[in-house]
Amino acid sequence: MSEVRQKPVPRPAPESAPYWAAARERRLALPTCDDCSGQWFPPSRTCPHCLSGRVSFTDVSGRGKVYSFVTFHRVYHPAFEGDVPYVVALIELEEGPRLLSNIVDVAPEDVRCEMPVEVTFEDVGEAVIPKFRPR
Amino acid sequence: MNIADLSNGVEPARELSDYCSIVGTATSRLGKVPGVSSLDLLVEAIRNAVDDAGLKASDIDGVICRGPDESYSHHQVVAERLGINARFSTTLTNGGASQILAIAIAVMAIRFGLAKTIVCGFGRDTWSRTHASEEARVRNETRPASQRPREFGPEYGYFGATAAHAFGATRHMHLYGTTRDDFGAIATAFREHALRNPDAQMKKPLSMEDYHAGRMIVAPFGIYDCSLRSDAAGAVIVTRTDRARDMRRPPVLIKGFGTFNNTRGWFNDDNMVVTAAKNSGAAAYAMAGLGPQDVDTAQIYDCFTYMVLTQLEDYGFCKKGEGGAFVSSGALRLGGALPCNTSGGQLSEAHAEGMLQIVEGVRQLRHLYPAERQVKDAEIALISGHGGNQVCHSTLILGKA
Repeated sequence: MSEVRQKPVPRPAPESAPYWAAARERRLALPTCDDCSGQWFPPSRTCPHCLSGRVSFTDVSGRGKVYSFVTFHRVYHPAFEGDVPYVVALIELEEGPRLLSNIVDVAPEDVRCEMPVEVTFEDVGEAVIPKFRPR
Repeated sequence: MNIADLSNGVEPARELSDYCSIVGTATSRLGKVPGVSSLDLLVEAIRNAVDDAGLKASDIDGVICRGPDESYSHHQVVAERLGINARFSTTLTNGGASQILAIAIAVMAIRFGLAKTIVCGFGRDTWSRTHASEEARVRNETRPASQRPREFGPEYGYFGATAAHAFGATRHMHLYGTTRDDFGAIATAFREHALRNPDAQMKKPLSMEDYHAGRMIVAPFGIYDCSLRSDAAGAVIVTRTDRARDMRRPPVLIKGFGTFNNTRGWFNDDNMVVTAAKNSGAAAYAMAGLGPQDVDTAQIYDCFTYMVLTQLEDYGFCKKGEGGAFVSSGALRLGGALPCNTSGGQLSEAHAEGMLQIVEGVRQLRHLYPAERQVKDAEIALISGHGGNQVCHSTLILGKA
């Protein structure tokens, strides 16, 4: 039972391992095309802008805004029982790509679309996961 | 409306319009049907549809179905249980967009000589599955473990289809001032329709007050914004219209179909507020030579209330951003401007991933319902299918023969 009470940690696909390795160093890094400089998320080894296979991970600003968000009231996993209500948001980074995360350091009812946010990092077991807070 | 503009440069297959008809349709038992597998529910619906058409199983030479997620080559097992060999047989995996896609493929297969009479269907045992154990009830997870996300979701407490669609609702509310009263107008209208349908899973009235009192699930969605967990199946039988004339029931013409898939992703571009229904619908309208002004009843894929509102905009029944006012006007009710989900929909009848919307569209165009359930003088029905990872869409336009 204690295992199921622990929050899930990311189980990375091979192509997203560098993203999570950067997070462990408290850096937010996105796949970036060596040919067209395009960036995207989630990570993959082919640039969806130009189909180049030359891809590196580069650090990004960590700044963005809330594109949309939802507030979980229902408990879907026992480890989140003490967290409800909590916000899961889609963050649009200044660089363009959007990624899912939690919004922390603000009451759920005060979260808004277009709210400016910045990355912060949280330890969950062995993993470090990027979260966002108002800025 | 300029049909050429709507079709995005793709030549509509006008010659396929009316080429085939739906000659039989039926459901299985709906709602809570413990002790019956999803496969057996589907076979039950097919058996009933074959009977509805006045055919025998041996008259069927094609099977197209969407399988339960964990099933491999589902169509083979379905055909085996029907005791038939099939000229054309396959399984689709476009989620709730699969059921109309099956009909589109059936028409093309029949036109090009791969089969004569094809059954399309889907069944699921979601009520039984999510009530099999306490853990199953809490997880509310209909997908097998192997298909659940491993990263970019669970570590944030992000689970399930409710949250995915709620993102679109929040964004639409932000952009256009849409409210939960608007969502409630959809939930209460469909419940009222379900009360006229003796087979519907939901039997109690739902007032706007009840809607707002419902517990929150993933805000902005409360319990009454969410479709049902059902044991349910449906099936339709497709054949050439010139053959259909001799059968037991009046044929219902397949006038148009279209598909579009926003496969760049639900979270990319504006896809959560302008869905793939826009381009899918344009293709179907172009094939049928019709537009939204010609539609008498719409059977819209209502996995969540918001999805009805945004699809009605995308199909051109009102402008983008005006869906809230449109649904709150009472338009969706039987007797309204665009009676919608007249059997109660997935919110109140039962949820079979769009299959029951097709069954209801056919039944409305047969004009065999008692007056209280019948869309008066219905000639054209538009039906939508939505699914996969929120990005697959299909559209069917049916006509009274």
